[in-house]
Amino acid sequence: MKGVLPTDRRGVRELGAEDLVGWDEVTHGVVLNSFDGIVEDVAQVAPEERPYSDFNSYTATVASWRVIKPVYNRDICIDCQNCWVWCPDTSIISRDKQMLGIDYDHCKGCGVCVEVCPTNPKSLLMFAEAQEPEDALAKWPEKKKKEKK
Amino acid sequence: MAITSIKNLKEFSTVNERFEGAHLLCPGCAHSMIVRELMNATDDNLVISSATGCLEVCTAVYPYTSWDTSWIHIGFENAASAVSGAEAMYKARKRKGTLKDPDAPVKFVAFGGDGATYDIGFQWLSGAVERGHDFTYICLDNENYANTGGQRSSATPVGAHTTTAQAGRVSYGKKQKKKDMVAIMAAHGAPYVAQLAPNKWKIMAKGFQKALETEGPCFINTVSACTTEWKFDPKDTIHITDLATDTLMFPIYEIIDGHELNILYRPKNIIPVEEYLAAQGRYKHLFKPENKHVIERIQKEIDEKWEYLQRREESRV
Amino acid sequence: MADKMELNEVEVWDGNYAAAQALRQAQIDVVAAYPITPSTPIVETYGAFVANGYIDGEYVMVESEHGAMSTCVGAAASGGRVATATSSQGFMLMVEVLYQASGMRLPIILNVVNRAIASPLNVRGDHGDMYAGRDSGWVQLDAFNAQEAYDLNLCAFKIAEDVNVRLPAMVHQDGFLTSHTAQNVSPLSDDEAYEFIGDYKAIDEMLDFSKAVTYGAQTEEDWHYEHKAKQHRALMDSYVVIDRVFAEFKEKTGREYKRVESYMMEDAEVAIVALGSTVETAIQAAEELRENEGLKAGVVAPRCFRPFPFEDIQEVLKDVKAVAVLDRSCPMGAMGALFNEVSASMYTTTSRPIITNFIYGLGGRDFSLEDAKHIFREQKGHADVGYITTQIQQFSGLRGPKLGFFESKRSK
Ligand SMILES: Cc1ncc(C[n+]2csc(CCOP(=O)(O)OP(=O)(O)O)c2C)c(N)n1
Ligand code: SF4
Ligand code: SF4
Ligand code: SF4
Ligand SMILES: [Mg+2]
Repeated sequence: MKGVLPTDRRGVRELGAEDLVGWDEVTHGVVLNSFDGIVEDVAQVAPEERPYSDFNSYTATVASWRVIKPVYNRDICIDCQNCWVWCPDTSIISRDKQMLGIDYDHCKGCGVCVEVCPTNPKSLLMFAEAQEPEDALAKWPEKKKKEKK
Repeated sequence: MAITSIKNLKEFSTVNERFEGAHLLCPGCAHSMIVRELMNATDDNLVISSATGCLEVCTAVYPYTSWDTSWIHIGFENAASAVSGAEAMYKARKRKGTLKDPDAPVKFVAFGGDGATYDIGFQWLSGAVERGHDFTYICLDNENYANTGGQRSSATPVGAHTTTAQAGRVSYGKKQKKKDMVAIMAAHGAPYVAQLAPNKWKIMAKGFQKALETEGPCFINTVSACTTEWKFDPKDTIHITDLATDTLMFPIYEIIDGHELNILYRPKNIIPVEEYLAAQGRYKHLFKPENKHVIERIQKEIDEKWEYLQRREESRV
Repeated sequence: MADKMELNEVEVWDGNYAAAQALRQAQIDVVAAYPITPSTPIVETYGAFVANGYIDGEYVMVESEHGAMSTCVGAAASGGRVATATSSQGFMLMVEVLYQASGMRLPIILNVVNRAIASPLNVRGDHGDMYAGRDSGWVQLDAFNAQEAYDLNLCAFKIAEDVNVRLPAMVHQDGFLTSHTAQNVSPLSDDEAYEFIGDYKAIDEMLDFSKAVTYGAQTEEDWHYEHKAKQHRALMDSYVVIDRVFAEFKEKTGREYKRVESYMMEDAEVAIVALGSTVETAIQAAEELRENEGLKAGVVAPRCFRPFPFEDIQEVLKDVKAVAVLDRSCPMGAMGALFNEVSASMYTTTSRPIITNFIYGLGGRDFSLEDAKHIFREQKGHADVGYITTQIQQFSGLRGPKLGFFESKRSK
């Protein structure tokens, strides 16, 4: 099981680590199929149920781009979904109106989610990539007093 | 017709995404925020064309695609033609009964950067809109040719530094005004034209839905803050976009059937444009004393435009 | 449903009208086009068919030729039959998209009514536009008269759309000389023509929403080369399908096409290699020379400019002593393209005939029977002494001091 959802095909390889096949094996017309086989009405199929093909970037990881990463604190989160709507990398995993966590295969560590998180203290904070989540959670700041204007 | 519910964000977040991660757009890039939101605003099948530019070179690099829908890229200038060809084929095959699933709802969408839209693809877009194809064209307006390293476009605003309209000892950056693409597209008589911004997610999603549901060619200019070329920290994309809409640098409005103008967002406190400019490296030079007049000019033009938009709205013509 | 048209067994059509009729019979899904002389009548005639209920497909009159080919690409990727027509400047405006169409393996049919390229502007025929397409990855078939323009259009759909080819194809005809010259044409009935072409088979279509497909991905240095090589291979190998389609066409109509047409070559000592309507002039010259002067002259005409029939050229010219290759396009700083290709074919044989190059007919300059005869006689001169007695590149029908380039370094 990877991350918060049981999807086996997410981020299975680093970009550029795919097999460099010969001219006889590259796709016809440079076409890329997003899925293996038929998927009727993709918009009704949850990502964890889709047969992503090797050509789908969902199966690749860009985790190595990150130097800092967002850490999620479930205890404070109000499930407002701000982080979800503005994440540029489809890396906030929300299901049934609940924020479940971060997709660390696709998150690039931009920090947008932290900026738009409205709770006090924030439910998402940036930490060094190497920081263990448990340690990060242990260091979580206290609620900040509103600055008087 | 299947519209995702966008009553509130919680409900909106239940959609199944069709734009995948591990694309190559910069961390914090607004292009993908806009694209995701467009795709999430509908449950219908999508046929999407994209012009050459950051979005295209970052989302379909062999052997990967980030698109879970039909998608095509031909060249820099012809995204509107590509989608009009697909739409024409749809009509022909529907009539002839050769579609695999003739009842499946589908929407045709084109994405182009400001370079693709305001400059090189202007003619192709104009032609496709004039012909009345049923599609929505979305310009990802980051006010420069970002993919090729930040050159000027006709969407670059006065005073911005780009690599081909540089700020230097005797230059304050771009001298010419930004082209008013929204007005130009409205003048085509397109049934729905708007300028939208991702910080106002709900207004943007509703505008997208309106465009998708409107028959005929619709055009939307979206503000796409570019961390790399505007020179701000990636985490601040939404903050910068807030400044863009609240200084009225990017007013949010729609024009229906070429004439009915509605302002969709009125900032409670209108922020002086300095604050927006000061937040971005591309305007840094404007804060030298000799360039003060440029900031004044920008502010004046914003005020005039806002006045104009309000009068247009009031006059209901 | 579109109405059918009753056609006579023999019609009097010009090349443009013949091409437009073939397009109608192919039941195309999308025609996206833009007018330019001399191909305009194809688009107009098709428009008249649309206006009178003979067409079910979409007829999209776009804002430019670049837009036309771009719209064709979007349409073809959406799983249906697509065609258009152009000439000259319009062709040049399309060039970027020609490469994109073939790279995506989209079987679009483009009628090219050959015309010179500006500057200076000229509306008459030469092969400048045809040559500008030669590296674009399209099948290029050349019609020498109106009947062939009709026939080759029907064949082109069948070739391009074949699952083993899936490449776009051009059907060329000469501006005015063919496009505007009325001749007797024997068409097939609507049903026979459509039955010959067959239904379109969609592959990787964007309108099958159950199989999301991405067209036009970027490839950098680790992938680009393999894709281009694969595409080149497909075009190289397409001759198999071309031959098969020509054979089926012959069976249906009795009219025979070959990738390299040859006339009186069985015993020919000298030959002209040419393209387009010139071929008929050259044939007549050869016939008269044979009859009046006992000169064993023959004519070779690549019907198929791409894929270039390298081996068939070797075969047909193997026993010839001297060959003149005629290029109706100014090569600008080089030998003519057809000359180079024919020479390359023959250099890799043991016979290695003498080969010279003539530039001719630019911008619609007449190429007369006498011009052709003069060239044949000159070849005979080379053949008799065993070396090239003239400059290697010469200009036929050009006013002013004699122009020519390069001398043979080859002695007897
Ligand atoms: C015909 C052509 N001219 C120039 C280019 C080079 N080029 C590729 S993308 C691009 C700029 C894209 O700018 P824009 O449309 O604003 O998109 P962005 O990258 O900013 O999102 C340029 C100049 C090209 N690919 N094709
Ligand atoms: S850091 Fe950026 S990419 Fe990662 S989850 Fe947050 S918003 Fe998404
Ligand atoms: S923005 Fe913050 S509070 Fe809202 S869902 Fe995300 S983590 Fe939770
Ligand atoms: S350069 Fe700008 S537009 Fe391009 S990917 Fe980076 S942030 Fe996005
Ligand atoms: Mg741009």
